[in-house]
Amino acid sequence: MIHQHPRFYVGGDRYIEVELGDGMSFELNILVHNLVAAIRQAAIPGIIELIPELASMQISYDPEVISYADVVREVGALHDGASRTDAAELPSRMFYIPVMYFDPWTEACIEDYRSRQPDKQPDAQLVCQANGLPGRDALRRLHAGTDYWVAALGFWPGLCSLMPLDDRARIVAPKYNPPRTWTPRGAVGLGGALTCIYPDRTPGGYQLLGRTPVPTFDREQRLPAFHDDIVLFRPGDRVRFIPIDQAEFEFLESEVEAGRYEHHCVEHQTFSVGRYREARRRLEAGQPAGGSA
Amino acid sequence: MNPPSQFEVVKPGLETTVQELPGRLGHWEQGIPPSGPVDFWSFRLANLLVGNPRDTAALECQVMGPTLRLHCSVLIAITGAEMSPTLDGQPIPMWTTVIARAGQTLALRGSRVGMRSYIAFSGGIATTPVLGSRAVFHMAGIGGRALQPGQTLPLGVPGGDQRGLYHVDEAHRPPLGSDESRSVACVRGPNDDWLSDESLTDFVSSDWKVQAQSNRTGMRLSGPVFSFAHRATHKRPEHGQDPSNILDHGYPLGAINLAGQTPIILINDAPSTGGFINPFTVPSAEFWKLGQVRPHEILRFHEVSLDEAQQRRRDLDSAVTQEALTPQ
Repeated sequence: MIHQHPRFYVGGDRYIEVELGDGMSFELNILVHNLVAAIRQAAIPGIIELIPELASMQISYDPEVISYADVVREVGALHDGASRTDAAELPSRMFYIPVMYFDPWTEACIEDYRSRQPDKQPDAQLVCQANGLPGRDALRRLHAGTDYWVAALGFWPGLCSLMPLDDRARIVAPKYNPPRTWTPRGAVGLGGALTCIYPDRTPGGYQLLGRTPVPTFDREQRLPAFHDDIVLFRPGDRVRFIPIDQAEFEFLESEVEAGRYEHHCVEHQTFSVGRYREARRRLEAGQPAGGSA
Repeated sequence: MNPPSQFEVVKPGLETTVQELPGRLGHWEQGIPPSGPVDFWSFRLANLLVGNPRDTAALECQVMGPTLRLHCSVLIAITGAEMSPTLDGQPIPMWTTVIARAGQTLALRGSRVGMRSYIAFSGGIATTPVLGSRAVFHMAGIGGRALQPGQTLPLGVPGGDQRGLYHVDEAHRPPLGSDESRSVACVRGPNDDWLSDESLTDFVSSDWKVQAQSNRTGMRLSGPVFSFAHRATHKRPEHGQDPSNILDHGYPLGAINLAGQTPIILINDAPSTGGFINPFTVPSAEFWKLGQVRPHEILRFHEVSLDEAQQRRRDLDSAVTQEALTPQ
């Protein structure tokens, strides 16, 4: 559900939560990203930071430069203007991330949890069952068979919320309860309808499907991808998972350790909201995808 | 040759970190919090006392202060929580400019009143900025870690326009340990509409005990049970199962974040986003109280309007200047 007008909520003296709808969908999230892009472009003095999230964004502002009422007015006007058009071309880099599905490290983490919570079904088995999939091979093919949209980042530096761009690859899973106390760095997890990559060894709650040897967060900024930043992704980027075997995992891991690994990223891509919507409509109508879509 | 402008960590204290204002801005959307000193009132006074611009990098000490050996002569000032500082074993006053000479040892002890102390050095701490700031988010290792024994930290060159010795009298300091310091203003929102009217009233009329597990990400409180509004119990499944769950959203600093039945006040190194509601938010002018409250102390909250919260911010901002200092 998308709100006719954005709803603004006070978050203390310097933050505002802007809610654009209620629910989780790509359509709603793209409105958030469109509005974020429009606010950035407008370069409104006094607006300090924006955190785009699934259906909302947080704005931090300097109340000595701009009042709450003026932020609400200006952001409201931008929303009514450009944010619903099909014309938007969002900057969106494409990352290819190698993943070893059902790898031994996340398996060990799952078994460690199950040694204390024996009722917990192994993750891949649980996800297959919840989505009517015959087995791990089908799960891997489906999960690696779509581009993902970096809908948001947060909670921990570099922790991403990824939405599948192809509805046919939508997989859902409940979260761990209670959460895990640790997760291997680089683990790929699924919770609700979102995929994440754990940037660091942290607690977690998503079902674990695999692990990538390449970092998405590098506090030392060693590899070229982290030259200007310590986090790989920005909101609005896209990710594709490339299945690899253990030999390839170990090779890539050694390249990372040697400081030689270059992330596979297509910098020059943009994301056309209109063409994506068109491709989706065709898919829903059962028509074959056309040409370059 | 001049001795190197630096100091050496003899004992690190408990998670002592370099902090700077305004903190690390511009990367919150990637999950990197602003960090910076929690009690920025005390922090700024420490800098002013040694003649630095008030937002210069300085140390934040928590609960147990560090022991430092100075490799050069500098002006130092210690503010915030009372940590019984000594220089070569001789007690030195807090809230006062102190001349320290090369080779001397500055030692802080456990905090008696308040929780966090600030140590400023003339010239400021000159570590290399990471993503535009020297502020340290030590749990993620961004901008560095907490101080380690044997580590040396470089100091900058003092500006030279102020060499005076000053003091901050009580009227111009945050009143640590007072009743006022445990009475915290909050603004309703952003998610007050997820709580029942009863719980909204309860929140500002109850005692809240600060739990022991509190750090630079937040402090847990214990108190009465929350009850929820219709919205929290009749919502789309994407929001999650618990009444306190909401679709992932941004977390303001100062948010009273409700996870299940446990409210957590989110401070400078808090998670940027998450799936729990924030029914109230503590405004920035009250952060010195959040930085100084000790485990097991009792907090009370009172509601203020957005206008009042912003007025307090202006008042505090204009109170923390050179005018707050008295020449010695």
